[in-house]
Amino acid sequence: MKLSRLVWLFVILFLGWLFYWGLHRNPGELKSVLVGRPAPDFTLPPLPPFREAYGETFRLADYLGKTPIVLNFWASWCYPACYEEAPILEAAWERHKGEVLFLGINTQDKEEKALEFVRRFGLTFPNLYDPRGKVGIDYGMYGVPETFFIDREGIVRYRHAGAIDAGTLEKRIQEVLR
Amino acid sequence: MKRLWPFLFLLGLGLVFAQTPTGQPPPDLDPEVFKIANQLRCPVCQGESAGESNAGVSQEMRRQIAEMLKEGKSEEAIKRYFVERYGEWILYAPPKRGINWLLWAAPALGLLLIGFGLWRYLAEARRREAELGLSPEELRALEAELEEE
Repeated sequence: MKLSRLVWLFVILFLGWLFYWGLHRNPGELKSVLVGRPAPDFTLPPLPPFREAYGETFRLADYLGKTPIVLNFWASWCYPACYEEAPILEAAWERHKGEVLFLGINTQDKEEKALEFVRRFGLTFPNLYDPRGKVGIDYGMYGVPETFFIDREGIVRYRHAGAIDAGTLEKRIQEVLR
Repeated sequence: MKRLWPFLFLLGLGLVFAQTPTGQPPPDLDPEVFKIANQLRCPVCQGESAGESNAGVSQEMRRQIAEMLKEGKSEEAIKRYFVERYGEWILYAPPKRGINWLLWAAPALGLLLIGFGLWRYLAEARRREAELGLSPEELRALEAELEEE
Protein backbone atom coordinates (compact mmCIF):
# COMPACT_ATOMS: atom_id res chain seq x y z
CA MET A 1 0.00 0.00 0.00
CA LYS A 2 1.30 3.41 -0.91
CA LEU A 3 2.21 5.77 1.92
CA SER A 4 -0.27 8.44 0.79
CA ARG A 5 -3.09 5.87 0.89
CA LEU A 6 -2.17 5.06 4.48
CA VAL A 7 -2.21 8.75 5.39
CA TRP A 8 -5.69 9.18 3.92
CA LEU A 9 -6.93 6.07 5.69
CA PHE A 10 -5.62 7.49 8.96
CA VAL A 11 -7.30 10.86 8.34
CA ILE A 12 -10.65 9.23 7.56
CA LEU A 13 -10.46 6.91 10.57
CA PHE A 14 -9.57 9.87 12.82
CA LEU A 15 -12.51 11.95 11.54
CA GLY A 16 -14.82 8.95 12.00
CA TRP A 17 -13.64 8.48 15.58
CA LEU A 18 -14.08 12.21 16.28
CA PHE A 19 -17.64 12.08 14.95
CA TYR A 20 -18.47 8.98 17.00
CA TRP A 21 -16.96 10.51 20.16
CA GLY A 22 -18.91 13.74 19.62
CA LEU A 23 -22.19 11.84 19.21
CA HIS A 24 -21.73 9.85 22.41
CA ARG A 25 -20.74 12.69 24.69
CA ASN A 26 -23.22 13.44 27.44
CA PRO A 27 -23.66 17.23 27.58
CA GLY A 28 -24.78 16.90 31.25
CA GLU A 29 -21.38 15.52 32.20
CA LEU A 30 -19.56 18.82 32.26
CA LYS A 31 -17.31 18.59 35.28
CA SER A 32 -17.46 21.50 37.68
CA VAL A 33 -14.19 23.40 37.97
CA LEU A 34 -15.03 23.76 41.67
CA VAL A 35 -14.53 20.06 42.44
CA GLY A 36 -11.54 19.75 44.77
CA ARG A 37 -11.61 23.46 45.62
CA PRO A 38 -12.99 25.23 48.73
CA ALA A 39 -16.71 25.98 48.41
CA PRO A 40 -17.29 29.70 47.68
CA ASP A 41 -18.76 31.56 50.64
CA PHE A 42 -21.99 33.57 50.35
CA THR A 43 -24.48 35.42 52.49
CA LEU A 44 -28.20 35.21 51.67
CA PRO A 45 -31.47 35.85 53.49
CA PRO A 46 -33.42 32.69 54.39
CA LEU A 47 -36.99 32.48 53.07
CA PRO A 48 -39.42 33.75 55.81
CA PRO A 49 -40.34 30.32 57.30
CA PHE A 50 -36.65 29.64 58.08
CA ARG A 51 -35.76 33.01 59.61
CA GLU A 52 -36.75 32.03 63.13
CA ALA A 53 -34.23 29.18 63.21
CA TYR A 54 -31.45 30.66 61.04
CA GLY A 55 -31.76 34.45 61.46
CA GLU A 56 -32.18 37.28 58.97
CA THR A 57 -28.99 36.44 57.07
CA PHE A 58 -27.33 33.10 56.50
CA ARG A 59 -23.56 32.95 56.05
CA LEU A 60 -22.17 29.74 54.59
CA ALA A 61 -18.75 30.37 56.20
CA ASP A 62 -20.36 29.76 59.62
CA TYR A 63 -20.85 26.12 58.60
CA LEU A 64 -18.02 25.47 56.11
CA GLY A 65 -15.34 23.20 57.49
CA LYS A 66 -17.56 22.13 60.38
CA THR A 67 -20.12 19.85 58.78
CA PRO A 68 -20.69 18.21 55.39
CA ILE A 69 -23.15 20.24 53.30
CA VAL A 70 -25.61 19.30 50.53
CA LEU A 71 -26.23 22.48 48.56
CA ASN A 72 -29.25 22.31 46.25
CA PHE A 73 -30.20 25.00 43.72
CA TRP A 74 -33.88 25.04 42.75
CA ALA A 75 -36.72 27.20 41.44
CA SER A 76 -40.50 26.88 41.43
CA TRP A 77 -40.53 27.29 37.63
CA CYS A 78 -38.19 24.33 37.23
CA TYR A 79 -40.78 21.71 36.39
CA PRO A 80 -40.68 18.70 36.54
CA ALA A 81 -37.06 18.15 37.68
CA CYS A 82 -37.20 20.25 40.87
CA TYR A 83 -40.62 18.80 41.74
CA GLU A 84 -39.29 15.26 41.34
CA GLU A 85 -36.32 15.72 43.65
CA ALA A 86 -37.89 17.90 46.39
CA PRO A 87 -39.54 14.99 48.30
CA ILE A 88 -36.33 12.93 47.90
CA LEU A 89 -34.24 15.75 49.39
CA GLU A 90 -36.67 16.26 52.28
CA ALA A 91 -36.68 12.52 53.10
CA ALA A 92 -32.87 12.38 53.04
CA TRP A 93 -32.69 15.49 55.29
CA GLU A 94 -35.00 13.78 57.79
CA ARG A 95 -32.60 10.83 57.93
CA HIS A 96 -29.33 12.79 58.07
CA LYS A 97 -30.15 16.06 59.84
CA GLY A 98 -27.77 15.43 62.73
CA GLU A 99 -24.73 14.83 60.53
CA VAL A 100 -25.22 16.73 57.24
CA LEU A 101 -26.55 20.23 56.61
CA PHE A 102 -28.98 20.46 53.71
CA LEU A 103 -29.26 23.89 52.15
CA GLY A 104 -31.72 24.90 49.45
CA ILE A 105 -31.07 27.96 47.31
CA ASN A 106 -34.13 29.29 45.56
CA THR A 107 -32.77 30.84 42.37
CA GLN A 108 -34.26 33.53 40.10
CA ASP A 109 -37.72 33.10 41.44
CA LYS A 110 -40.56 35.12 42.98
CA GLU A 111 -40.80 34.89 46.75
CA GLU A 112 -44.49 33.92 46.85
CA LYS A 113 -43.93 31.14 44.27
CA ALA A 114 -40.93 29.89 46.27
CA LEU A 115 -43.01 29.84 49.47
CA GLU A 116 -45.76 27.90 47.70
CA PHE A 117 -43.15 25.31 46.66
CA VAL A 118 -41.77 25.06 50.22
CA ARG A 119 -45.31 24.53 51.59
CA ARG A 120 -46.26 22.04 48.90
CA PHE A 121 -43.36 19.71 49.73
CA GLY A 122 -43.22 20.55 53.44
CA LEU A 123 -39.51 21.38 53.21
CA THR A 124 -37.93 21.67 56.66
CA PHE A 125 -34.24 22.14 55.75
CA PRO A 126 -33.15 25.80 55.47
CA ASN A 127 -33.97 27.43 52.14
CA LEU A 128 -32.37 30.70 51.12
CA TYR A 129 -33.63 33.30 48.68
CA ASP A 130 -31.44 34.42 45.74
CA PRO A 131 -33.72 36.19 43.25
CA ARG A 132 -30.78 37.40 41.11
CA GLY A 133 -29.08 34.01 40.99
CA LYS A 134 -25.73 35.49 42.01
CA VAL A 135 -24.68 32.48 44.08
CA GLY A 136 -25.52 30.18 41.16
CA ILE A 137 -22.93 31.99 39.03
CA ASP A 138 -20.39 31.76 41.89
CA TYR A 139 -20.86 28.00 41.78
CA GLY A 140 -20.64 27.84 37.98
CA MET A 141 -24.21 26.56 37.78
CA TYR A 142 -25.59 25.64 34.35
CA GLY A 143 -29.24 25.34 35.28
CA VAL A 144 -31.57 24.30 38.05
CA PRO A 145 -31.69 21.81 39.65
CA GLU A 146 -28.07 21.30 40.57
CA THR A 147 -26.69 19.78 43.77
CA PHE A 148 -23.22 20.28 45.23
CA PHE A 149 -21.72 18.01 47.89
CA ILE A 150 -19.27 19.73 50.23
CA ASP A 151 -17.19 17.62 52.64
CA ARG A 152 -16.49 18.47 56.29
CA GLU A 153 -13.28 20.28 55.29
CA GLY A 154 -15.33 22.67 53.18
CA ILE A 155 -14.11 21.25 49.84
CA VAL A 156 -16.55 20.70 46.95
CA ARG A 157 -16.53 16.97 46.16
CA TYR A 158 -19.27 16.48 43.56
CA ARG A 159 -21.68 18.38 41.42
CA HIS A 160 -24.85 16.67 40.23
CA ALA A 161 -26.69 18.34 37.34
CA GLY A 162 -30.41 17.65 36.93
CA ALA A 163 -32.91 15.97 39.28
CA ILE A 164 -31.16 13.70 41.76
CA ASP A 165 -32.54 10.25 42.61
CA ALA A 166 -32.57 8.73 46.10
CA GLY A 167 -29.79 6.21 45.34
CA THR A 168 -27.32 8.77 43.97
CA LEU A 169 -28.12 11.20 46.77
CA GLU A 170 -27.47 8.59 49.46
CA LYS A 171 -24.25 7.45 47.79
CA ARG A 172 -22.88 11.00 47.58
CA ILE A 173 -23.89 11.75 51.18
CA GLN A 174 -22.00 8.67 52.37
CA GLU A 175 -18.96 9.82 50.41
CA VAL A 176 -18.87 13.29 52.00
CA LEU A 177 -19.55 11.76 55.42
CA ARG A 178 -16.36 9.68 55.26
CA MET B 1 -9.99 25.80 -14.07
CA LYS B 2 -13.57 24.74 -14.78
CA ARG B 3 -13.28 22.03 -12.16
CA LEU B 4 -12.31 24.61 -9.55
CA TRP B 5 -15.54 26.59 -9.72
CA PRO B 6 -17.70 24.29 -7.57
CA PHE B 7 -15.07 24.41 -4.85
CA LEU B 8 -14.76 28.18 -5.02
CA PHE B 9 -18.56 28.45 -4.93
CA LEU B 10 -18.77 26.31 -1.78
CA LEU B 11 -15.98 28.29 -0.16
CA GLY B 12 -17.81 31.54 -0.98
CA LEU B 13 -21.06 30.15 0.41
CA GLY B 14 -19.28 29.26 3.64
CA LEU B 15 -17.92 32.78 3.97
CA VAL B 16 -21.31 34.35 3.27
CA PHE B 17 -23.10 32.29 5.92
CA ALA B 18 -20.35 32.29 8.54
CA GLN B 19 -21.37 34.71 11.26
CA THR B 20 -19.98 35.71 14.60
CA PRO B 21 -22.40 35.95 17.52
CA THR B 22 -23.53 39.54 17.88
CA GLY B 23 -26.40 40.88 19.90
CA GLN B 24 -28.51 43.97 19.62
CA PRO B 25 -27.83 45.76 22.89
CA PRO B 26 -31.00 46.61 24.76
CA PRO B 27 -30.81 50.26 25.81
CA ASP B 28 -30.55 49.64 29.58
CA LEU B 29 -26.88 48.61 29.69
CA ASP B 30 -23.67 50.06 28.32
CA PRO B 31 -22.47 48.66 24.94
CA GLU B 32 -19.19 47.80 26.70
CA VAL B 33 -21.14 45.28 28.82
CA PHE B 34 -22.40 43.58 25.67
CA LYS B 35 -18.96 43.61 24.10
CA ILE B 36 -17.78 41.39 26.97
CA ALA B 37 -21.01 39.38 27.34
CA ASN B 38 -20.87 38.47 23.62
CA GLN B 39 -17.58 36.70 24.27
CA LEU B 40 -19.12 34.53 27.00
CA ARG B 41 -21.49 31.61 26.65
CA CYS B 42 -24.94 31.63 28.16
CA PRO B 43 -24.61 28.60 30.52
CA VAL B 44 -28.19 27.38 30.05
CA CYS B 45 -28.55 27.97 26.29
CA GLN B 46 -27.47 26.11 23.18
CA GLY B 47 -25.24 28.24 20.97
CA GLU B 48 -26.19 31.62 22.41
CA SER B 49 -23.90 34.13 24.04
CA ALA B 50 -24.59 35.82 27.37
CA GLY B 51 -25.01 39.00 25.33
CA GLU B 52 -27.83 37.67 23.14
CA SER B 53 -29.72 35.44 25.54
CA ASN B 54 -32.59 36.62 27.69
CA ALA B 55 -32.28 33.73 30.14
CA GLY B 56 -32.19 34.82 33.79
CA VAL B 57 -28.59 33.71 34.23
CA SER B 58 -27.45 35.75 31.21
CA GLN B 59 -29.23 38.82 32.54
CA GLU B 60 -27.45 38.31 35.85
CA MET B 61 -24.12 37.86 34.06
CA ARG B 62 -24.64 41.16 32.23
CA ARG B 63 -25.58 42.84 35.50
CA GLN B 64 -22.41 41.52 37.15
CA ILE B 65 -20.29 42.63 34.18
CA ALA B 66 -21.83 46.12 34.45
CA GLU B 67 -21.06 46.20 38.18
CA MET B 68 -17.48 45.04 37.68
CA LEU B 69 -16.92 47.66 34.94
CA LYS B 70 -18.21 50.29 37.32
CA GLU B 71 -15.69 49.06 39.91
CA GLY B 72 -13.01 49.71 37.29
CA LYS B 73 -12.18 46.06 36.49
CA SER B 74 -10.59 45.33 33.12
CA GLU B 75 -12.14 43.17 30.40
CA GLU B 76 -9.51 40.49 31.06
CA ALA B 77 -10.25 40.48 34.81
CA ILE B 78 -13.99 40.13 34.14
CA LYS B 79 -13.47 37.22 31.76
CA ARG B 80 -11.15 35.59 34.31
CA TYR B 81 -13.89 35.93 36.92
CA PHE B 82 -16.23 33.80 34.81
CA VAL B 83 -13.50 31.33 33.79
CA GLU B 84 -12.72 30.73 37.49
CA ARG B 85 -16.34 29.67 37.98
CA TYR B 86 -17.19 27.88 34.74
CA GLY B 87 -13.81 26.91 33.30
CA GLU B 88 -12.60 27.91 29.85
CA TRP B 89 -15.77 26.41 28.40
CA ILE B 90 -17.47 29.75 29.12
CA LEU B 91 -15.27 31.55 26.57
CA TYR B 92 -16.42 31.55 22.95
CA ALA B 93 -12.83 31.90 21.77
CA PRO B 94 -10.67 29.30 23.55
CA PRO B 95 -7.31 30.76 24.67
CA LYS B 96 -4.51 30.13 22.17
CA ARG B 97 -2.29 27.77 24.15
CA GLY B 98 -1.65 24.05 24.66
CA ILE B 99 -4.00 21.70 22.84
CA ASN B 100 -6.25 24.64 21.95
CA TRP B 101 -3.77 25.54 19.20
CA LEU B 102 -5.12 22.51 17.38
CA LEU B 103 -8.60 24.07 17.39
CA TRP B 104 -7.30 27.30 15.92
CA ALA B 105 -5.18 25.52 13.35
CA ALA B 106 -7.90 23.04 12.33
CA PRO B 107 -9.61 25.25 9.68
CA ALA B 108 -6.28 26.10 8.02
CA LEU B 109 -5.22 22.44 8.16
CA GLY B 110 -8.55 21.43 6.63
CA LEU B 111 -8.12 23.91 3.77
CA LEU B 112 -4.55 22.71 3.19
CA LEU B 113 -5.77 19.12 3.10
CA ILE B 114 -8.50 19.94 0.59
CA GLY B 115 -6.03 21.97 -1.50
CA PHE B 116 -3.58 19.09 -1.46
CA GLY B 117 -6.28 16.61 -2.52
CA LEU B 118 -7.42 18.93 -5.29
CA TRP B 119 -3.87 19.44 -6.53
CA ARG B 120 -3.25 15.69 -6.60
CA TYR B 121 -6.51 15.09 -8.43
CA LEU B 122 -5.79 17.73 -11.08
CA ALA B 123 -2.22 16.49 -11.52
CA GLU B 124 -3.53 12.97 -12.04
CA ALA B 125 -6.11 14.20 -14.56
CA ARG B 126 -3.43 16.09 -16.48
CA ARG B 127 -1.20 13.04 -16.49
CA ARG B 128 -3.99 10.92 -17.98
CA GLU B 129 -4.66 13.54 -20.63
CA ALA B 130 -0.99 13.54 -21.54
CA GLU B 131 -0.97 9.74 -21.69
CA LEU B 132 -3.68 9.81 -24.31
CA GLY B 133 -1.20 11.69 -26.47
CA LEU B 134 -3.76 14.11 -27.90
CA SER B 135 -2.92 17.72 -28.57
CA PRO B 136 -5.21 20.35 -26.99
CA GLU B 137 -6.69 21.07 -30.44
CA GLU B 138 -7.56 17.43 -31.02
CA LEU B 139 -9.07 17.23 -27.55
CA ARG B 140 -11.24 20.29 -28.18
CA ALA B 141 -12.40 18.85 -31.49
CA LEU B 142 -13.37 15.58 -29.78
CA GLU B 143 -15.18 17.41 -26.98
CA ALA B 144 -17.11 19.47 -29.56
CA GLU B 145 -18.09 16.26 -31.31
CA LEU B 146 -19.34 14.76 -28.07
CA GLU B 147 -21.42 17.81 -27.31
CA GLU B 148 -23.05 17.66 -30.75
CA GLU B 149 -24.18 14.12 -30.10
